[in-house]
Amino acid sequence: MKHPSEAQIALFAGGDLDGYWNRWRVRRHIAQCRDCQAEVGALRDTSELVREVAAESPKDLNWSRLAAEMTGNIRVGLAAGEAIARFDRPAARRPFRLGWNAAFVLGCATVVFLIAFWISLPRPQADHLISVLHRIRPERTGSVVKSPIIAPDEVVLEATAAGIEVKENGRAMSLTHPHSDGVTVSVSLQGSAGIRYVDADTGQVTTNKVYYAEP
Amino acid sequence: MLSRSLPAMLAMAGLSVSAVQAAAVLKIDLPKDSPVVVLAADPGDSSEIARGGAMLLDLHAALSLRNATQRRIRGVTLVVTAQDVTPGGKGSVSITSLDVGPEETFPVRVDLRLLRPLQGSANVPVQIGLDGVLFDDLSFYGPDKLSSRRTMTLSEWEARRDRKYFKALLAEGGTERLRQEMIGSLARQADRPTLDVQVVRGGRATNLEQDKQLQFAFLKLPDSPVEPMEGAARIAGNEVRAPRLEVKNRSDRAIRYLEMGWILRDRTGGEFLAGSVPAELNLAPGQKSPILESTTLKFPQRGGQPLSIEGMTGFVSSVEFSDGTLWIPSRADLGSPELQRVLAPSDEEQRLVQIYRKKGLRALIAELNKF
Repeated sequence: MKHPSEAQIALFAGGDLDGYWNRWRVRRHIAQCRDCQAEVGALRDTSELVREVAAESPKDLNWSRLAAEMTGNIRVGLAAGEAIARFDRPAARRPFRLGWNAAFVLGCATVVFLIAFWISLPRPQADHLISVLHRIRPERTGSVVKSPIIAPDEVVLEATAAGIEVKENGRAMSLTHPHSDGVTVSVSLQGSAGIRYVDADTGQVTTNKVYYAEP
Repeated sequence: MLSRSLPAMLAMAGLSVSAVQAAAVLKIDLPKDSPVVVLAADPGDSSEIARGGAMLLDLHAALSLRNATQRRIRGVTLVVTAQDVTPGGKGSVSITSLDVGPEETFPVRVDLRLLRPLQGSANVPVQIGLDGVLFDDLSFYGPDKLSSRRTMTLSEWEARRDRKYFKALLAEGGTERLRQEMIGSLARQADRPTLDVQVVRGGRATNLEQDKQLQFAFLKLPDSPVEPMEGAARIAGNEVRAPRLEVKNRSDRAIRYLEMGWILRDRTGGEFLAGSVPAELNLAPGQKSPILESTTLKFPQRGGQPLSIEGMTGFVSSVEFSDGTLWIPSRADLGSPELQRVLAPSDEEQRLVQIYRKKGLRALIAELNKF
């Protein structure tokens, strides 16, 4: 059986307990509980004693005001107790929710970043990235990829009219040429790619080549 | 923290356009007894720029070399390495068709781009060394790690052949005949089809289209010391893999090296010089030998259309005998329509045509008369 609090018993004993339901519940409990009956009796005796003492008190003492102040003090004390109890408990956290507007702005910024990244990504690194993604695809899905793949660890030589290049793992060394007139591109299956041009300033024939390094 | 990471973040997004001088990255290392010495090395407007998630070093170096010998230099090959960027590869810059006398100087341009990841991209030195120097008496100096002796000697043989041919035209047909030949050469160079090519060692299948075996047709040059017997390669989409050839030495001398030119024909009938198939071998007179290559050639799409290879033609483009002498096709051999359509002019022909184009016929005749 749950006993009413000391404050409720004190207020009940003085006839100051608020609320019909509270009064009925406390009265019903006290009617069945000897301990609480004794408590109420003691409080009422004390109250009677106070009245007797009050009779000897100055005639201009405002008992109603004093009672109201005491009741107010009791309520303040109870409220302070609850506040301290809340302070000791860990505060319940509200789940962090990003607003839809912030999410939209963040999404747009991400898209702009990715587009800028992709546009500015140099060709060898883009090729390397694509080849890595292609490699992941069949491993993750088990499907067959029908596009050409450059294995990332392979050294690839590339010859175009713009220049020649040796690529390895997303890194690249290119030999370019200053003038594009009369450019001749050649590859050798022994492992070289070359480009030849006549320098317009010097008239010299220059051949740039890239090779696989010797094992 | 932010000041350090912000440039990297901007660079990753491709938003950084700042450039820095990269003069410190060039390291030239020639042997002490080198026949050429470096007089000056100007890094020019070299720069290092962050692009995407990478650093791009753009090097435009101009070297000034001096002939420190008493012989005339015909060709020089410099080897270019950037070990930290491409440990599996290297580059070279060759100047051929030179005529540099003792104590004379000549320029060499090195236009190089290095792409490396942004992370840990401290200054990476580009090393320039000497692979070889060819003199007018065909003697050679250098470590020859890139077979530049053979390459430059072949170029010099072609130069002598072509100068002789143009001089003969001038002597027989006068200036007008030489002019017509120059105009014809210019037109052929303009019309010659070119093809972007990737070379991948190992010939690993990377295109899952069904491959087919395609037989070589051969263009037989009458004077060639080597006769191609048969050959085939596997074709899968725009890839050509593992060419296999059989050749026979029909000369009376042993052969230690040969090179086959390789012409591809696509569905539309267009022909392209795909590349060359070299072979180091020891081929006695009358002996046959297979040439096997595991390399794969890939041809990126042209104008959105994948290249569909329908035919292949091979021809012998050069032979080196075991005594060091060479065979190259004659001008008459090169006059065949199949070769004229696809074959690039020699280094010397390209140089002479450039002189004609820039300075006119008189300057060309003066140049021919120097030799």
